[in-house]
Amino acid sequence: MPDVEISPESAVADQLAAVGALRRLADRLEDAAVEEAMRGDWSWPQVAEALGVTRQAVYKKHAKRLIAAGVSLRRRNG
Amino acid sequence: MSTFDQYLARVLETAAAEAKSDGSAAVEAHHILLAIAGEGSLALQSAGLDQAAVRRALDQEFSRSLAAAGVRLAGGMPDATPDPEKSPPVGASVRAALERSFQLVERKRDMRPGHVLLGVLQAELGTVPRALALAGIDRADLCERALTEVRA
Repeated sequence: MPDVEISPESAVADQLAAVGALRRLADRLEDAAVEEAMRGDWSWPQVAEALGVTRQAVYKKHAKRLIAAGVSLRRRNG
Repeated sequence: MSTFDQYLARVLETAAAEAKSDGSAAVEAHHILLAIAGEGSLALQSAGLDQAAVRRALDQEFSRSLAAAGVRLAGGMPDATPDPEKSPPVGASVRAALERSFQLVERKRDMRPGHVLLGVLQAELGTVPRALALAGIDRADLCERALTEVRA
């Protein structure tokens, strides 16, 4: 097997770096989108359904942060 | 706490704040690099890398990495309120960097700030070498500068 140079800038390295970058973007996008939804008319179950996770999971992940941000988490329809 | 311990504690704290504000799930070696640049590093500065320049290089690396997957961020990262109480855990790249740093000295009390930088710079793969390359920085040369600073 020929020696292939493992470079931090090769096409494969770019793809691997893309994975990390996309995860960071996805995390931030989730935080931003959930915050915007909850500042609007969305309910926890609706956000959960849109994300494809349980209501408990989305609440556990975001509630504390949103309360600290002053978002009203009153009960909503749905 | 020794001067070095205080330095390392400050760097780790700053790195954690950077990780939190850029939405990272963990503190990574590139956050340590940002923190070192913020503390003022002669080696980095002599290569033209103040904190702003390091940040630009990292932003460039982030954009390039997204582009490899065909993603372009039109308006920058979306805004989100972080959890004020949560501090991101230390990631693998930081552990690896610090391990490398400590392996550079025989005794812990020989540790200097420059060793922390060297540990970060010695990563062959990942965000730090990519960002430095994109900024046109010769990583080997930068390591030399850090070594010179440590030996002084």
